[in-house]
Amino acid sequence: MSKEKYKLHPISAVINFVKVLKEMIIPFIVVIAVNGFGGSEDSGHWSSYITYGIYAIILIFMLVSGIIKWKRFRYWFEEEELRIEYGLFVKKKRYIPFERIQSLNYTEGIFHRPFGLVKIKVETAGGGATKEADAELTAITKVAADQIKLEMLQAKNKLPEELNDSMEVQPLVKEERRAIFKMSPKDLFVLASTSGGVGVFFSGLAVFASQFSNVIPYGAIYEEIVVFIRFGALIVALAVFVVLLIAWIVSVVLTFINYYEFMITVEDEEIIITRGLLEKKKITIPLSRIQGVRVVENPLRQLMGYATVIVDSAGGSLAEKDEKIRLLPLIKKSKITPILQEIFPELLFNHQLTRIPNRSRKFFYRLDYIWMIPVAGAVSYFFYPFGLFSLLLFPLSYGLGVWQQKTAGYYLNERQLVIQYRLFSKVMVWMEKRRIQSMTESTTLFQKKANVSSIITTIKSGVTGASTTIPHIEKTDAEMLLNWYEPYHKTTIEKEQPVD
Amino acid sequence: MRAEPINKLSKKGLRVWRIYGVFQTLIALLLSIGVGVINFFTGEYIWLYIVDLVIVLIIAYLLIYLFPKVRWARWRYEVREQEIELQHGLFVVKRTLVPMVRVQHVDTEQGPILRKYDLASITISTAATNHTIPALITAEADELRGRISVLARVAEDDV
Repeated sequence: MSKEKYKLHPISAVINFVKVLKEMIIPFIVVIAVNGFGGSEDSGHWSSYITYGIYAIILIFMLVSGIIKWKRFRYWFEEEELRIEYGLFVKKKRYIPFERIQSLNYTEGIFHRPFGLVKIKVETAGGGATKEADAELTAITKVAADQIKLEMLQAKNKLPEELNDSMEVQPLVKEERRAIFKMSPKDLFVLASTSGGVGVFFSGLAVFASQFSNVIPYGAIYEEIVVFIRFGALIVALAVFVVLLIAWIVSVVLTFINYYEFMITVEDEEIIITRGLLEKKKITIPLSRIQGVRVVENPLRQLMGYATVIVDSAGGSLAEKDEKIRLLPLIKKSKITPILQEIFPELLFNHQLTRIPNRSRKFFYRLDYIWMIPVAGAVSYFFYPFGLFSLLLFPLSYGLGVWQQKTAGYYLNERQLVIQYRLFSKVMVWMEKRRIQSMTESTTLFQKKANVSSIITTIKSGVTGASTTIPHIEKTDAEMLLNWYEPYHKTTIEKEQPVD
Repeated sequence: MRAEPINKLSKKGLRVWRIYGVFQTLIALLLSIGVGVINFFTGEYIWLYIVDLVIVLIIAYLLIYLFPKVRWARWRYEVREQEIELQHGLFVVKRTLVPMVRVQHVDTEQGPILRKYDLASITISTAATNHTIPALITAEADELRGRISVLARVAEDDV
């Protein structure tokens, strides 16, 4: 075991700098904009340059701190641990035992590419509630990255209790990996054009606008708008359309950049996802960490026969918010089963769902009436002629309720539970019995009268849990599910057989 | 029908909940006094005083008398060799099953009021969820915590 201490590639100083710059850019723009609008009375006076001076000092400080961070950073391997030493003012050390390392995630940004470097993110098992739990090597050569992986595998293999049950890994002789799934450009386009990114962009715009709400002269704008409206509704409509179009194009481009050359391979019990145009990301998820698989179809995509597959992975850091990992960002519904079957051979993907009884239909929409009746009443009253349109909410909500009831269902066999439900998008979740952390039967007074119950299951997802509800099923079925989950009972379920 | 879990909470727990209810009612009372004072200086609607008072009385009835009683009567728990089963809820009855294999750790906790009545609450944590049994005699809670942690260690993953 070598005790030589390694440094990062010098480019990481630049990356550190750019990273801080990225984080600062929004407040920066806001500050500059506010200054520009607000105190432009005595421009030309020497004091107005002070602000620029301050900006320059901040920039230099950021640059220098980036360099120091790089200078101070060391990593080495000792006693089967990855040891890291770092810190700007305070010197910190972190020792991560190799056996605790769950996965190494690689990212190649635009700064990495020209030098053949990668950023490595070391993910440890669960636990860490802070983002301190993980380590990040900003930029190292690919050779060095392979060395870390090699050290890790060696350390893991040396452990006596993990003696080779099929663990005869020969990390250097990599067999040709076969892509299980590759996203075609056409799919990529459909993904981009139907993504919710449009909404995200708009909410971003709204946030940005709200930052400026003090600065924008609303009075003047209002008068402008009045003129504008006189000018013709057509132009207004056109303007709205153009804004929408631009937002859509931006979202398409962003999705395209993020998901370019999306590919999945499975190797050594790990799923490896690579994607990205400018920043090439490589994410590894150990299969043992996957807690549940879900297929999500939003109504638009359902119409076109497309769906998204998401996996819930346990552990990881809060920093990586994306614990629900999009395994297949977009795929034809008909092609999902063979792919999932290949990745998760133990799960059964062909099955017939048990549906929700018709008499529980009322529970799907009735609760909404509690808020809808007063709202619709008030709107109808205050905005008399047009307010009556709010009454349309009732058939709409009824329709959605019926739709939800028709969609919902579940299937279970000895080892797995499958739940299908719809809030608006249709979701189907597969989970193994051994992954379910707890199960709750929930019965309201009204449900009790109708002799139905809901079942809530929780699996681990990220550092917390993800709950899925089977809504309003027969009381006897709910109890059967509890019995199924109860370890002692060992009930055999022969209610239905898989269909083919 | 599945049988209900057998154990109930300590009878003293009901008293503690009533005390919590008293505190919550006091907050409501303060708010209503505030409303009354504002009314005195600005509006002076007589009916508002009455509504104010009635609301506080209703809150007192619900929080001090009815809710604790129903909750206490509903609360059941049972710790078996392989699993823990809980039942609780006011309007919505929830029955939760936690297999021993999933239990990660068990904590007991005791606030000032609980301590005065020699009670403790016990929280069972899995990797994703927390489940609390709110009011047990301290000795019983300690014994239970020990038992669960032993059982959780023994329980084997049979899947």
